[in-house]
Amino acid sequence: MIVGGCDIGSATGKAVVMKDGQVVSFSITPSAVKPDVTARKAMDEALQKAGLSKLEDLDYVVGTGYGRLKVDFANENISEITCHARGAQWLLPTVRTVVDIGGQDCKVMSVTEKGKVLEFVMNDKCAAGTGKFYEAMARTLHISLEQLSTLGLDARKPAVISSQCSVFAESEVITLINEDVDLADIIAGLNNSVAGRLSGMVGRVGLVEDVVLTGGCAKNETLAKALEQRLKVKIKKLPMDPQIAGAVGAAVIAAEKVAQKAQVDSVAAKSHS
Amino acid sequence: MATKIKSRALQEFQEATQCLVNPALQKWKDQGGRVIGCYCSYVPVEVITAAGFVPFRMRGTGSTGTDLADTCVSSINCSFVRHSLDLGLRGEYSFLDGVLWVNSCDHVRRIYDHWKRKIDTSYLRLLALPKKNEQAQIDWYRDEIRFLRESMGPHFGVWISDDRLWDAIKLHNQTRRLQRQLYELKKRKNPPITGAETLAVMVAGTAMPPEYYNGLLKELVDELSQSKDGHADHRARIMLIGGILDDPAYIEVIESQGALVVTDSLCFGTRNMWGEVDEKAGDPFTALAQYYLYDRPQCARIFGDQPRRSAFIKEMIRQFDVDGVIAERLVMCDNWTGEQFMTGEDLKEAGIPYIRLDRDYVNIGAGQLRTRVQAFLEMMGR
Repeated sequence: MIVGGCDIGSATGKAVVMKDGQVVSFSITPSAVKPDVTARKAMDEALQKAGLSKLEDLDYVVGTGYGRLKVDFANENISEITCHARGAQWLLPTVRTVVDIGGQDCKVMSVTEKGKVLEFVMNDKCAAGTGKFYEAMARTLHISLEQLSTLGLDARKPAVISSQCSVFAESEVITLINEDVDLADIIAGLNNSVAGRLSGMVGRVGLVEDVVLTGGCAKNETLAKALEQRLKVKIKKLPMDPQIAGAVGAAVIAAEKVAQKAQVDSVAAKSHS
Repeated sequence: MATKIKSRALQEFQEATQCLVNPALQKWKDQGGRVIGCYCSYVPVEVITAAGFVPFRMRGTGSTGTDLADTCVSSINCSFVRHSLDLGLRGEYSFLDGVLWVNSCDHVRRIYDHWKRKIDTSYLRLLALPKKNEQAQIDWYRDEIRFLRESMGPHFGVWISDDRLWDAIKLHNQTRRLQRQLYELKKRKNPPITGAETLAVMVAGTAMPPEYYNGLLKELVDELSQSKDGHADHRARIMLIGGILDDPAYIEVIESQGALVVTDSLCFGTRNMWGEVDEKAGDPFTALAQYYLYDRPQCARIFGDQPRRSAFIKEMIRQFDVDGVIAERLVMCDNWTGEQFMTGEDLKEAGIPYIRLDRDYVNIGAGQLRTRVQAFLEMMGR
């Protein structure tokens, strides 16, 4: 059985190909203007890496992410909240709290031992603590996103950035630059501010270990460290790229659908014979 | 969720939510009738009706920006306040002969201050609405309602007698009764009317001459009572709770995911018509204060009343066979922020699925809303 999961986010498209319960390939591609184009590109790349040539090789595909309705080749769409929870828990079965930080939103899900969502919160009408926030800050500081994620680890005296609003935080950062504050301290301060916001969201669903980060911003080591300090727990690392957790979850759900259908078919076949 | 009703009445209600002055109200104006704007559902509309005027609940319908309002309020004020004040500053509310406020929240109270300075409406008054609802405060509000009569009467040259007040109470009670009959139909396994359609019916009830509205509503209720058609394709039955919501399009997005809104605790919904003003009370002012401030379900702005609100929500869940609760609030609404949290804890304890959503008054944010509702339904296993 070969299935696919396709997660079309605001910043990147992710696709996963899964064969007999194993992830055989995945791809991450920057989002094009049109989500259907991103979806096709991501899935084609994943198929190619898996040594497959065409979409028809997939028994079932689940689409997710904000562009999920535009994944033309998907058999159905499932929300990214359900998929991220399912994917993270499949990758690391002890996970009970998932913090996902994507391009345009962040969310926290509490999950059961079966990967089902118990409760979730999602940021609303605000870019604070999202990929967009980090992109804006990287621009202001004239550094790359990669630098933004690691430079803060060397901070000696993290700056205090009080605002969680992207716009106001940016003006605070400009003030700090003009006061010659160390770059590492500014970056650590920014991540502390985001971690503060995320820990509030975690508090709303209730903190239960293990905790993992998913989404593109999960690769931000300074943020992970800041969040660990806030929550006073060790954040576990997923055994695979955290950015594809949503696509993995979509593929896991796709595999379940195929298995369910096979079971129904076999029961039907028996009752006919 | 496709509508199954072809009713003329429903269509007229729906059109009335898309504009400020609907044809029935225009006709009333053309005949020389007066219209009084009401900020918030705590304004006792019976007094306006008894004066011979039509009460009109203030909205921001049709507003596309807040440039004028933003000269006197800030982005920490909620979008309803900014949009409705903006319409006022643009002259869109010049059809009103007066506007009444209550201090439902600090943001709304400020509209009154700005309106007084900047907009030329002949009669403006703010009623002091208490923050609690024990007997002393109910007595206070009784006096406030009495003062309203004594202020409005001389200004417009009309005398609002007790008899006329009792007549108005009976008329608005009839509206409430008809609206509850409509909700009664939503208890069916396959409700004949969606949540979005219901909200249109309720909003129209705050914008039309009451006798005319009651006639139309009776037509709709009769039609739906006789019809066997209903919505069977939903994934879950939902209760919607929160503050000011007058745009059926918001509920349409929720229902597009298969979440049928069967009941609510909204000030354009049940909170405005559950129960009735006591027609047998000693005097009309006591009767009105008792109903507005205590007998009907209260807004989150009333302190100390949260346990009763939770009890009401649980009772509605039982009566309407609700699967899950969606709580909405306008961004920056402090009254509903704390309330959403406390309601969530109570419902969690009772094992009822619950989700909190933030809204903007004009921009629905359909994409974000769809994602959250879809995830909520998936979480419920539906």
